[in-house]
Amino acid sequence: MAMVQAKSIIYRKLAAHAFLWAWLALIIFPLLMVIAISFRTGNFAVGDIIPSHPTLDHWRLALGMSIVDESGRTIPPPFPVLLWLWNSIKVASVSAVLIVALSTTCAYAFARLRFGGRSLLLKAMLVFQMFPAVLALVAYYALFSRISDYFPPLGLNTHPGLIFAYLGGIALHVWTIKGYFETIDKSLEESATLDGASPWQAFRLILLPLSVPILAVVFILAFITAITEYPVASILLQDESKLTLAVGSQYYLNPQEYKWGDFAAAAVLSGFPITLVFLLAQRWLVGGLTAGGVKG
Amino acid sequence: MADVKIEHLVKNYQPGVARDVLRDINLDIKEGDFVVFVGPSGCGKSTLLRAIAGLDDITSGDLFIGGRRMNEVPPVERGVGMVFQSYALYPHMTVRENLAFGLKIKKVDKQTARERVAQASAMLGLDPFLERKPKDLSGGQRQRVAIGRALVQHPAVFLLDEPLSNLDAALRVKTRIELARMHEERGSTTIYVTHDQVEAMTLATRIAVLSPLAEGAATNLEQFGPPLDLYHEPANRFVAGFIGSPKMNFLGGMIEAPDARRTRIKLDTGVSITAGVDTSRAHPGDQVEVGVRPEHTVLLDDPRADNRITGTVLVAEHLGAETFIYLDVGGKDFTVKVRPETPGTARSQFDIGVPTDACYLFDAQGQAFPRTERFTRT
Repeated sequence: MAMVQAKSIIYRKLAAHAFLWAWLALIIFPLLMVIAISFRTGNFAVGDIIPSHPTLDHWRLALGMSIVDESGRTIPPPFPVLLWLWNSIKVASVSAVLIVALSTTCAYAFARLRFGGRSLLLKAMLVFQMFPAVLALVAYYALFSRISDYFPPLGLNTHPGLIFAYLGGIALHVWTIKGYFETIDKSLEESATLDGASPWQAFRLILLPLSVPILAVVFILAFITAITEYPVASILLQDESKLTLAVGSQYYLNPQEYKWGDFAAAAVLSGFPITLVFLLAQRWLVGGLTAGGVKG
Repeated sequence: MADVKIEHLVKNYQPGVARDVLRDINLDIKEGDFVVFVGPSGCGKSTLLRAIAGLDDITSGDLFIGGRRMNEVPPVERGVGMVFQSYALYPHMTVRENLAFGLKIKKVDKQTARERVAQASAMLGLDPFLERKPKDLSGGQRQRVAIGRALVQHPAVFLLDEPLSNLDAALRVKTRIELARMHEERGSTTIYVTHDQVEAMTLATRIAVLSPLAEGAATNLEQFGPPLDLYHEPANRFVAGFIGSPKMNFLGGMIEAPDARRTRIKLDTGVSITAGVDTSRAHPGDQVEVGVRPEHTVLLDDPRADNRITGTVLVAEHLGAETFIYLDVGGKDFTVKVRPETPGTARSQFDIGVPTDACYLFDAQGQAFPRTERFTRT
């Protein structure tokens, strides 16, 4: 039942709503601009929010179709945007799955097992994560070029190499999952142990099913990070056919000509997989999984 | 079913750094015994239970279950079933899956597993709830699932860690009786941890009283024996104060003349009383504490009112069937249980009779002097 409220609270609520709408508009505006640019004739950054001469040319190019310009010339799509998108999805999905697997097992160790240097390691991981990856670009290049000498499939200019590089960034995820594991009563696993479960069985059959929401969160975060990542991918990948969309779409913006329209279409395109993953993962983002297990 | 033998058990979580949690614990638990570990929080009773289950390792000493040394044996091979204080039900599984989990892990064949689950479920009245998840059950039902999960394993030793502490008062009494009945029927060796001495007294065939380990103490197992032995012959002041409700009253005093049968004691209040205890090992002038149970006091018109103690009434509680009067005797609290119709006006003076055979006596170290008589209420 609704609580009886004073008049002043109702006004304050209205004010809060107005503020939230304004804030929302401020956030959505850039996205609307990008969408507008992708449908606007010509390659300009400024113009109307609702295009006066809408065109699908930028989208045709992005989707790999040729267009005919005003002088009657056929212009083939300059870059394999769909291939880049596929590369991005591939790299992001595989690295997100591996990151979830790695950080979950890692977090389990930190949350439940006792070993020397445990807290030191935990803190060190966090501290190292604070240095931006950009600082290590040169090191990344040197490392992977050396790996190329010995094991090319994991070296420079390969997707496995890039995924391998992304797997380094799990410290925050380990902390997140560890925090969640610690909220789950230890007696559940102890009970499983008494029931005859091995530590691995207790982890897989008891702890993991209860941790699905946090795993979904980590998967989404890892996926978004990988799909939007630019610096490392731009260093490690060289062939045009190997690029991810985040790196490749920059090709539209060369110093001679900023093709804002084409760039905008590619940018909007890169938002689709993220949206899709989020919608799919949402059904796992449920609370109350551990309800009823412990206490009365 | 099996017996449990604990010899010189010591538990320390950080040997050399922290103090022992348990020191020199010796227990001989017979097959079919219902043993209750009781003590205030921090006395290590749960730790001892976890050590028996194998959830905590043993620092030194030995643990035998069914004659086999279990120190290094993993929990599952010890043949113990445990009910956790928090119940520890698997929230993502139905009641049936919860019950069957251990059997599935152990690859017990499906037919046997089904039978055992059905048997436990019928015994605990869980049949209507088998397809429900724990979150859709009430506290008492969850409790029973937790018990059932231990039962289906057919454990040799049944371990319960404060199983009633999350239930409301009425359900606690009901479940207590059910547990007693279950032990009666199955006769399995049971070890039960609680901080509630009423649960201990009602359920146990034998009670182990534990105390938080004091500096320099040899052990924190204060006494191990049948409930009534602990009530009538407490080994020391700690057990005397812990067993019995309301608590035993203590008054300081001094031995006037040691005697093997009846001892004169001069209380700090100046009054002298006679106690039916053997103090032949003591000397005149030794500091002692006299213990008197509230239910062992009598009114002055009673012929057994050998000693008289005078106090000021603080509060009187009239419960209908009985009346408790809380007195201030020379600055110490003194509770007496008297006939229901006894009036007790606050701040008035109140005289109470203490029979000679109702007195307990403890030396300066808290050790009990042997009692020569035992008070019985008629």
